[in-house]
Amino acid sequence: MRRLMILLLLCLAAPLARAQADSALLHDVLARLGRHAAVRADFTQTRRNPALDKPQVSEGRLLFVLGHGMLWQVVSPYPETLALTGSRSARVDADGQPHPVRGERGVSQVAQMLQGMLGGHIDEALRQFDVAASGTAAHWTLRFVPKQARVARVLGSIELQGDDYLQAIAIRMRDGGATDIRFAHTRDAGPLSALEKRALGLP
Amino acid sequence: MTPRLGLRAGLFAVAALLLAALGAYLLFGRGRLPIQTDLLAMLPATEQNPLAETAVQRLAHANGDRMVLVVENADDARAKAAARALGKALAHDKAFASVLAELPPFDLGQVTAPYLPHRFWLLAGADRAALAASGFDPAQALAQRLNAPFLDGVGTTLADDPFGWLQHWLDRQPWSRSPLLPEDDLLVAHHGDATQVLVTATLAGSSYDDAVQRHALAALDGAERAIRHDYPGTRLLRTGAVFYAAAARAGAERDVHMVGWISTAGIALLLLGMFRSPGPLLLAFLSTAVGVVAATTVSLLVFGRIYLLTLVFGAALLGEAVDYSIQYLAARANAGPRWQAAGGLRQVRPALLLALATSLLGYALLGLVPFPALRQMAVFAMTGMLAACLGVCWLLPALLQRPAKPLSAAPVRWARALQHGVGRLAHGRRGAVAALLLVLLAVPGWWRLGHDDDVHLLIAQPAGLLSQEARIRELTGLGNGSQFFLVQGADTEQTLQREEALEQRLQALVAHGKLQDWIGLAGMAPSLTRQRADHALLAPLLDHPERTRALLAGAGFRAGAIDAWLAAWPGTPLQLQDWLKTPLATPFRYLWLGCGSHGCGSIVLPQGAADDAVLAGAAAGLPGVQLVDKPASVSALFGRYRRYASVWLLAAVLLIVPVFGWRYGWRRAPRVLAPPVLGIALTLAALGYLGQPLTLFHWMALMLVLGVGANYAVFLHEGEPHTADKPGAMYASVLLSALTALLSFGLLSLASLPALRDFGLTLLLGIAFTAVLVPASRADGGDSP
Repeated sequence: MRRLMILLLLCLAAPLARAQADSALLHDVLARLGRHAAVRADFTQTRRNPALDKPQVSEGRLLFVLGHGMLWQVVSPYPETLALTGSRSARVDADGQPHPVRGERGVSQVAQMLQGMLGGHIDEALRQFDVAASGTAAHWTLRFVPKQARVARVLGSIELQGDDYLQAIAIRMRDGGATDIRFAHTRDAGPLSALEKRALGLP
Repeated sequence: MTPRLGLRAGLFAVAALLLAALGAYLLFGRGRLPIQTDLLAMLPATEQNPLAETAVQRLAHANGDRMVLVVENADDARAKAAARALGKALAHDKAFASVLAELPPFDLGQVTAPYLPHRFWLLAGADRAALAASGFDPAQALAQRLNAPFLDGVGTTLADDPFGWLQHWLDRQPWSRSPLLPEDDLLVAHHGDATQVLVTATLAGSSYDDAVQRHALAALDGAERAIRHDYPGTRLLRTGAVFYAAAARAGAERDVHMVGWISTAGIALLLLGMFRSPGPLLLAFLSTAVGVVAATTVSLLVFGRIYLLTLVFGAALLGEAVDYSIQYLAARANAGPRWQAAGGLRQVRPALLLALATSLLGYALLGLVPFPALRQMAVFAMTGMLAACLGVCWLLPALLQRPAKPLSAAPVRWARALQHGVGRLAHGRRGAVAALLLVLLAVPGWWRLGHDDDVHLLIAQPAGLLSQEARIRELTGLGNGSQFFLVQGADTEQTLQREEALEQRLQALVAHGKLQDWIGLAGMAPSLTRQRADHALLAPLLDHPERTRALLAGAGFRAGAIDAWLAAWPGTPLQLQDWLKTPLATPFRYLWLGCGSHGCGSIVLPQGAADDAVLAGAAAGLPGVQLVDKPASVSALFGRYRRYASVWLLAAVLLIVPVFGWRYGWRRAPRVLAPPVLGIALTLAALGYLGQPLTLFHWMALMLVLGVGANYAVFLHEGEPHTADKPGAMYASVLLSALTALLSFGLLSLASLPALRDFGLTLLLGIAFTAVLVPASRADGGDSP
């Protein structure tokens, strides 16, 4: 489900989404998130699945750069860095060289849609999901429920929580599966290393 | 009137009426109009390999009888509502057999379930490479799948597919790669700032059936107006053979009307001016009409259907067929009160027969080109000229018993002045010098000549339709349908293996950005050899279930899930024939050409625009694989025949030389032949100066110039001795013939089809040059033959 990926990227990249949101709070949240051009955070992802009798936990670091994409760097249980950028998704080797992973064409579509949204259109997310915002600007929750029956049969909901930064993502699948991502030590990224730039395809 | 003359005329009239009745029955009496608008049918068979021609036909008609429509609107909801409304409107119309706008409900499980029994036999390229690599670590692969960022278990479930191999394989299938995604039960793309929705409609009949065409287009127009009104800002893009066929038909109808009516009116005025009475006009048209009716009837008898091209060409042929009548009528006008119908016929008959023979020779050469459309034009022209000539010989004498007024004085004076001027310039040795000067003048023009063999000379495709098709292709990922790979093998297995060899190369091109994508059956149902190899790659893991069980348990899998997965091993390979029967295969079934005595065949379609050389390179050296490129093949054929055509022209000149030598003596023959030959040379030079690249059609027209030009020389030579008392009168009738031909062929140069334009322009130039030069053929004032 590429769209979910897009949605998540959108939420991280939302500042450029100047289009009218369906509530003032949503608008506020997007504006608040958009103050940070590049963000670093530590993440913990916990995944539950009906096929598993104990949850899978992975930990690592995230670098998000507005308008370019993100580096998802897993430290445990195995080391791996994924570069999820507009034009491709790639596995990054030790030298920062990205190696494209399967589904080239699908990824380029994602890129097109993503670029559309970064150009100021939250339309894609609103087309795919009913969005409900709750809480305050300092402590908010956005809940996305799929509109499309096909998607709703698989995906229950996606919930984002945060304050100045995005703090948590909770994904609920229809089959009982769940993925929870918590971010910690979220901060402005500061200058990027040469390796990070190479992996993200930045000059 | 002698009884013999009357009897012959009566018999001829009865025969002509019978032919007309038969023609009318063939045209209108059998339901649909037998007019061929299928553009592919006009093109010659270019492929040596009969299966390749079959595949070309199959592809053209797989997409041929359906409309592909894209509804576009900047407003998402409006685009979708408009697409639904369009789908409903078309579905209610009888012109369509089926309309697909809203998708039937299905869930992802329906796609996955049929593949579960084969999950240990199908691997995506990346997984195959990873499993085959020496350092493959199943624990790491499993961890990567379980801890993928954000999402998991969409598509196949973890229990069914712990390592994600089947999911990766399904991701590579064409329906997963399509730029169109299901959204609100529609197939949707979002390009630019707009939403595009796909609607396809299958016609209730052939795209080339006149009635089907009209109904479907009317229904679409109505529906389009409604959605444009109800959902402002909506655009409708369309493509499909039916639109091209309708455009070709409309263009040809316009051409037939323009060429037919304007040349008829022009010829009528010219004849009225020359003969100063309406009687000759009606008789001239009578024999011409007999020619056209006979030509149409015989063409229908021989070919069953008439090409649009033939109709347009036929309309232009009027101008040449009327020549025979003009010669006879001119003889009558020049004879004055001494006129005797039978005697007059004896006087012009040698000229008419000689002229007919040269014309038939010229058109017979045209008929040697192996293009169905050109063959039909040749048969049409030969029948028409023969019937028109017979009409003059058998019908007209009975109707032209009384003497007529002499020709208008002024045109005869002008003709005489021109004849005198040209004759003086060409007299004796001066003629050779003048000819040499003309040739020197022509040389720079020849130097500038280039050539063009594009297939679109014969197929006019409106730019508006082409750009819509290109846009739809970009939005939907549809292939161009005219370029594809034909893969052949002794049996299904070998065919699929050969496809895999090809697809390996194509995938490399995709990776290097030289090709957008491809679609082939081996990607959906691999060869058994490949499936066994993939199966063997998994065997080390699954033949030792205890180790794998420990691995999965360690990752947290429930015992029940592990048992179920291990129990599914080894499963069964996916058989192409079984797969082809599944609903998922429906859109791809036409790619399988089946098996026959010559083996099996399949089609692999490159997607998006690709360089021809790149595609040819992909097929090079692979056994049983061939790139079929219909437009390129036809263009190559055009080029080959264009090169032959110059040789043919020379051959035709050489064929005429003995005829003229026999009739006019060997010393005089070159002088009689000089005007048409020089006319051709000057026409070529003029085309060079005009910057017109030469095509096959220019050369074909030059053959006609030779035929017509030789006619004029013959008319002048044969007629002059009988009009010695009226200088200029014979040349005036030749010029009249030339003017009528110029009118009708000249109008062809305004036709919508490039081939006909080239044809018309060449004839216009060639006939004009020849008509002016023709007095030179008698400039030595030699005796009559």
